[in-house]
Amino acid sequence: MKFPNKLILAAFALMVIAGCKKLDLAPTDRFTELNFWTSSENVNNALNNIYSGMYTSNKYFYHEALSDNAYTAQGSSTGNVDVIASGSFTSALPKFEGDWAFYYSGIKSCNLFLANVDQNKTLPADVLTRMKAEVRFIRAWHHFNLMKWWGDVPLLDHDITPDEAKVIPRTPRATVLKFITDELEAAAAVLPSKDQYSSADNGRITNAAALALEARVLLYEGNRMQDVAAICEKIMNNPGKYGEYGLAPNYGDLFSDPTVNKTNSESILSLQYVPNLRTWSEDFDFAPRSAGARTNNLAPTQELVDDYVMTNGKPITDPTSGYDINNPYSNRDPRLTATIVYDRYVWKNPNGTTQIIYIKPGSDPDRAALNEYSPNGQGSATGYYWRKYFDPNASAGFASGLNLHLIRYAEVLLMYAEAKNSLGQMDASVWDKTIKPIRARAGFTDPAALDYPGNSDMTNIIRRERRAEFAMEGLRIDDIRRWKIAEVVLNGYAHGARFGDPSVDNGYIRVQKRQFDPSKNYLWPIPAAELQLDSKLTQNPGY
Amino acid sequence: MNRRLLFQRKPFQWLYPRLLKCVLLFIFLGGLTLLAQASPSAGQVTKNIIIRGHVTDSSGQPLQGVNVTVSGSTLGTATDANGNYTISIPDGYTGRTLTFSYTGFVSQQIAIGGKTVINASMKTAGNVLGDVVVVGYGTQRKISLTGAVNQVTAKDIEKQPVTNVLQALQGESPNLIIQQTSFVPGGGVNLNIRGLGTLGDNTPLVVIDGIIGGDINLLNPNDIASVSILKDAGSAAIYGSRSANGVILITTKSGKLNQKPTVSYNGTYGIQHAYVPLKKVSAWENAYYKNESLVNSGLPPVYTPEDIQRLQAQGNGDWERQNILHDAPQQSHNITVSGGSPASAYLISAGYQEQASNLVGNGGSGSNFGYRKYNFRLNQTSIIGRFKLNTILSYVKSQNKNHSNADWVIFADADRVPLNYSFQDSLGRYLTNPVAAQYNVKSVLEKGGYNQTDNDQVFGNLNGELKITKDLKLTGVFGGTLNSNTDDFRRMMVNNYPSGVYGDDRSVFDNSFKTMFLNSQLYAEYNKSISAHNFKVLIGGSNESYTSKGFQLQKTLTDPALGTPTTGTIVDPNNSYNTISATTETSINSVFGRLSYSYNNRYFLEGDFREDGSSKFAKSKRWGFFPSIAGSWVLSEESFLKPLQNVFNVLKLRSSYGVLGNQNVNAYQYQTSYFNYPNAYAFNNTTVGGAGYTLGNPDLTWEKAATFNAGLDASFLNNKLSLSLDYFNKTTSDILYSRQDVPAIFGAGFPDYNVAKVNNKGWEVSASYLLRTGAVTQTFSFNVADNKNKLLALTYGSNEQIFNADVFSFIRRVGEPITQYYGYKTNGFFQNSQDVATYPKPAGVSVAPGDLKFVDQNNDGVIDEKDKVILGNPFPRYTFGFTYRLAVKGFDLQLFIQGVGKRDAFLRGEEVEPFHYNYGATMYENQTDFWTPTHPDAKYPRLAAIGSSSNTNNWRMGSDIYKFNAAYARLKNINVGYTLPVSVSERVGIQRLRVSVIAQNLLTLSKLNFIDPETSEFNNNLYLGSSSNSARSYPLPIFYGAGLEITFN
Repeated sequence: MKFPNKLILAAFALMVIAGCKKLDLAPTDRFTELNFWTSSENVNNALNNIYSGMYTSNKYFYHEALSDNAYTAQGSSTGNVDVIASGSFTSALPKFEGDWAFYYSGIKSCNLFLANVDQNKTLPADVLTRMKAEVRFIRAWHHFNLMKWWGDVPLLDHDITPDEAKVIPRTPRATVLKFITDELEAAAAVLPSKDQYSSADNGRITNAAALALEARVLLYEGNRMQDVAAICEKIMNNPGKYGEYGLAPNYGDLFSDPTVNKTNSESILSLQYVPNLRTWSEDFDFAPRSAGARTNNLAPTQELVDDYVMTNGKPITDPTSGYDINNPYSNRDPRLTATIVYDRYVWKNPNGTTQIIYIKPGSDPDRAALNEYSPNGQGSATGYYWRKYFDPNASAGFASGLNLHLIRYAEVLLMYAEAKNSLGQMDASVWDKTIKPIRARAGFTDPAALDYPGNSDMTNIIRRERRAEFAMEGLRIDDIRRWKIAEVVLNGYAHGARFGDPSVDNGYIRVQKRQFDPSKNYLWPIPAAELQLDSKLTQNPGY
Repeated sequence: MNRRLLFQRKPFQWLYPRLLKCVLLFIFLGGLTLLAQASPSAGQVTKNIIIRGHVTDSSGQPLQGVNVTVSGSTLGTATDANGNYTISIPDGYTGRTLTFSYTGFVSQQIAIGGKTVINASMKTAGNVLGDVVVVGYGTQRKISLTGAVNQVTAKDIEKQPVTNVLQALQGESPNLIIQQTSFVPGGGVNLNIRGLGTLGDNTPLVVIDGIIGGDINLLNPNDIASVSILKDAGSAAIYGSRSANGVILITTKSGKLNQKPTVSYNGTYGIQHAYVPLKKVSAWENAYYKNESLVNSGLPPVYTPEDIQRLQAQGNGDWERQNILHDAPQQSHNITVSGGSPASAYLISAGYQEQASNLVGNGGSGSNFGYRKYNFRLNQTSIIGRFKLNTILSYVKSQNKNHSNADWVIFADADRVPLNYSFQDSLGRYLTNPVAAQYNVKSVLEKGGYNQTDNDQVFGNLNGELKITKDLKLTGVFGGTLNSNTDDFRRMMVNNYPSGVYGDDRSVFDNSFKTMFLNSQLYAEYNKSISAHNFKVLIGGSNESYTSKGFQLQKTLTDPALGTPTTGTIVDPNNSYNTISATTETSINSVFGRLSYSYNNRYFLEGDFREDGSSKFAKSKRWGFFPSIAGSWVLSEESFLKPLQNVFNVLKLRSSYGVLGNQNVNAYQYQTSYFNYPNAYAFNNTTVGGAGYTLGNPDLTWEKAATFNAGLDASFLNNKLSLSLDYFNKTTSDILYSRQDVPAIFGAGFPDYNVAKVNNKGWEVSASYLLRTGAVTQTFSFNVADNKNKLLALTYGSNEQIFNADVFSFIRRVGEPITQYYGYKTNGFFQNSQDVATYPKPAGVSVAPGDLKFVDQNNDGVIDEKDKVILGNPFPRYTFGFTYRLAVKGFDLQLFIQGVGKRDAFLRGEEVEPFHYNYGATMYENQTDFWTPTHPDAKYPRLAAIGSSSNTNNWRMGSDIYKFNAAYARLKNINVGYTLPVSVSERVGIQRLRVSVIAQNLLTLSKLNFIDPETSEFNNNLYLGSSSNSARSYPLPIFYGAGLEITFN
């Protein structure tokens, strides 16, 4: 063998060996199970992740279309809420599986956190205790949502293995309820009030949030009004312990003013957003198109519009209310204007100018007629758009940093009023603490609306008050289901404005025919796929 | 469970025992052959003459195994690996002749006449059995193959004007299944061999010039000498853990020793015309149908008779697909210089290819949309004594410019607006309308920005061969690929008229990623012939390592004119990341070997193995051993078949069995990991980070495919007709699949587990017939193949997985093909009120005459989940290719037809459903065959308003209303050329000059005729999560052009 050959051979051998790489390779951007929880930073991040999985803006808004408040035309992009409203659905509808999985995925994150967080030895004990209480609140919140939609659901108070998941049975609803209220009480006992948190923690779960959620949970039961009233009183009467709450001075600003939305004394729990960095953009498909929205995919119904009372407090159905069918939007509850955009609405642009929103077909002087109702177009299917939650500071594509309120002090007040009324304890003093200030804040000035009307139609007054106050906040469908009025309000056509054939439904546009079968539809079907995989799961009646 | 990462100090600890085993085996085999060599004694004849010689094929390549016999005697020998032979004959035999015979070649007789050196050059017998076929770590004659290998050569590829090699390979080899799911320039294709054997990645392993894992898309089609498709275990096992899906071996052209320098040019230029069979109904008809759909649902019409008259009078606008497409050029130019001296050979090639996009516009600046590729390649061989060094260097630059949105958005928006509207007004303003309210697709293409990728690839390969003895050769290979890819994106703001804006986020991003792949190999080959026995041993080891790193920076609200940061510009934290977050490393160490034995060119036996250790698996699951055994028998050499020699020129049977691996999974899956991410949530209007986790599966390991193959190669009628048949049966077990048996209650997603099992079997036939009549030569080549997969196990306890893909579903069910369409079977229409009253309906749905009926499978009187059935199979079956070649004097014609015999396609969206979801406001001509009382046997149900109960019944239920027959045959290529007679061209110093005209995709026959039948929603594992096919894809380009080839020397 010649020398150069040997050299070349040796060089090759070297290259072959040098090319070898070890086979134990680890990713550079991740932690392992062993070193993750020891870092306080990571524990904080795990908790933040649980917060971020608490709820979604999509559910927050589009659940309105499950109720008689709104209609969505393109349901497929928003979880098929239109199909649920139409009543023609099966247990295979993706929305059921999707929501079910969402809540259980949230529960898993909570259980993993609770099982592992004690590995951390660097965070102070009181901080760890607080964090665990925050997590327990969110775990209860997910269970509450599950119970609300499905009734009996598997209760998971610890992290489960895949094999356990395959044979887990449904827990009786009463047990789930007990778990939720116990957990919320335990959390409330540990959590600070909003005033005890440092300002950097603004938005965290407080003791008041835990109590308010417990009140909501019990309110939905219908037969626990004594407890509801007692819990509400705790929040209303102990500002030192549970934080100083009150109503924000302006209803519209609570949702749309970037400062008021985030710094007010009314919000008990909100989904937290930040301009440009963590945003929601559903309003891109809600607002008038001349305000920059792309299309309309969630339209308020005539039924919602009709439920706003007159400025004198009387419902429009009252012949003495002064309602004029040809001038239907004047002298109405000021929250109508703060919430819904109707024909010839004066829209305030972000730059301070205004524009008139022409919705009636053929009325817009602008050739483009972007907002006009057309059964064929991209505008509102009902002839109404939304104003509530419009963000004047949103960036491109309506990416908004406004917080979405999950629990407001106004709800505590209205829960209190409803509970007291159910208990037969409604009187002027309760009214003056609850509905009166809410109406005053809304902008009512007529004493006929503000003063205690006696007990003539109190149940309906409270129900209408809740609907008007919380429109577009996702509570209406819950109310319909717990009041058991779905067979009335979710059967037949949902309507839009009076732009249709006068011989059909008095000219109110039909937008969707809905069906609700009270023998089964008060509970959602357990997702078909889950039934197949979990041998112990059973289906709800009628599916 | 100990899952700590151990950083080993001794990476080769594992290798020693294995290497030792191999070396011992090697010595043992070597010894055996030496022993065998020692035993036969020289002839006992008193005086002998030794005759030596060298036998080659017509290209000068040595031929091994050629039988050399002395006429009228039993004396004989065979050539060795270098084509040399030695035979000793009695001196009385010098008047006789030597016969050289080798299956697949024409036998040759040479008189001895006292010569002691007799060389021979053999000609192939008109079929391909004499061809050299590239196989793993070497080459073989086709006749000696034991495995199922098809080879496609340059002549099949180079006459097709394509920018991508895979486009040229489609239909060329049976069961090499290539599906072009989108025709966008630079777009991807689905590629697999013999169909689907796993639920995971079915992509075959690509080996380019001996280096594993090259990018076939970046090759210049003109640089390719041959493509071998290794289909069975016998041929592929040497590639071990990645061979289960088959292997594609590509060899690029090289220079030849002792060859005059030649310079050649070839190029094509032509125009691509976008073929859009989809047609909207006219504006007034659309309005009329819209009214009909509303009235049918009890809703008032939206167009008055006057409106419709007005629409009819004013005619159609131009808002159509056709008007955002234009004819665009496609061209390729290649120059090759090659030559060789006795000790060195070289080939240098340079190529340029461009396929401009059929979409109009340039995004607002720079060149038009399209794909460009620049190739440069150098292949150099030097022989220094016993050492041979081959160096390959290649550089590729590919650039693709596209618009700033997704193709499907562009086509959907072009499709969903009725013809009442136009893209632009007389002032050139881009218009919006009630349907496309936000932006105008033409403005997006012409002004809305761009997405531009620019990739550089450098490939280098040093291959050194050292002949240690006559029979022992040592080869070292060191090669690698460096990819540097950038993507530069900018969305520009366009204001439309009268309202609507596109791109107001004004985002700009840069993405860069680099990959580095290194492969080192060292292997020894020992080759020994002892009379008619031939032994070959190959043993070697290799390492492959791969590193990928990347980063991205995205800014939004940039300067509208420049795209630079300005007041209000923000860095988008969710779409920006650093290298640390985008680094992947993998590595594989391997030992491999092959032992082959043949006797008298009649019996062949081969065993292969590879043992791989992969970083993708935990330590204890890391090593996999993949063996195969194969044999073949050339029956036509047997004396009992000699009487039939006039019928069978060659008849060969072969069979193989082996276990192959598949490790196409993401790295790091065996480790549970936690990662932090930004902007998870916020407190006090300030965002905070979050931590997520990914569950790991420490038991993760290879997929294993046990593959049986049986084949037959035959040649008849004086070698004019050749035929090849193959049957295979492959069962892949331990398929990596996420668990489907765990309900969502568990609360988290799963990594892959080795749980599924798939059987895949099928057959292949290829035949070719050569017809020479006078000056006319014709060749007919045909191939057809089928494969049928069946899911044997899905995941632990669960036998079924259903995935809702918009309106219909995909299903994976044990006992059935891997993925199928699932839903309700239609049963005609409700024809009258009695039908409506009595026939089963879905719960809660009210129907009317003209609505769809579904089959009540379980006869329970209601249509529900229990009535859903399997409706179709989306995977192509009976794929075929047909090539016809004709040569008459200087003229030549090549015609190529390719197609799919059976495939079901489900299509949804505005092209199928009238006024789709109100998202589309259009109807197409293919939708007008709908039910009316006077047209009761229509194809589609009556028109009904979106959201009505009838519409829900007809279009939301997920039935076979969406099913189409996607079988097709396509005249893919026609090439007619004329070559100037050499006597003429040589006068101007040209060795060869050919001009040609070319047409591509000229004609497609299919029942699915409003979109291209090849488009599919699936990638090549029929992934369940693929979104349903809305046929919003880039159209088929029809190419017309001309070509020129010139060779000087």
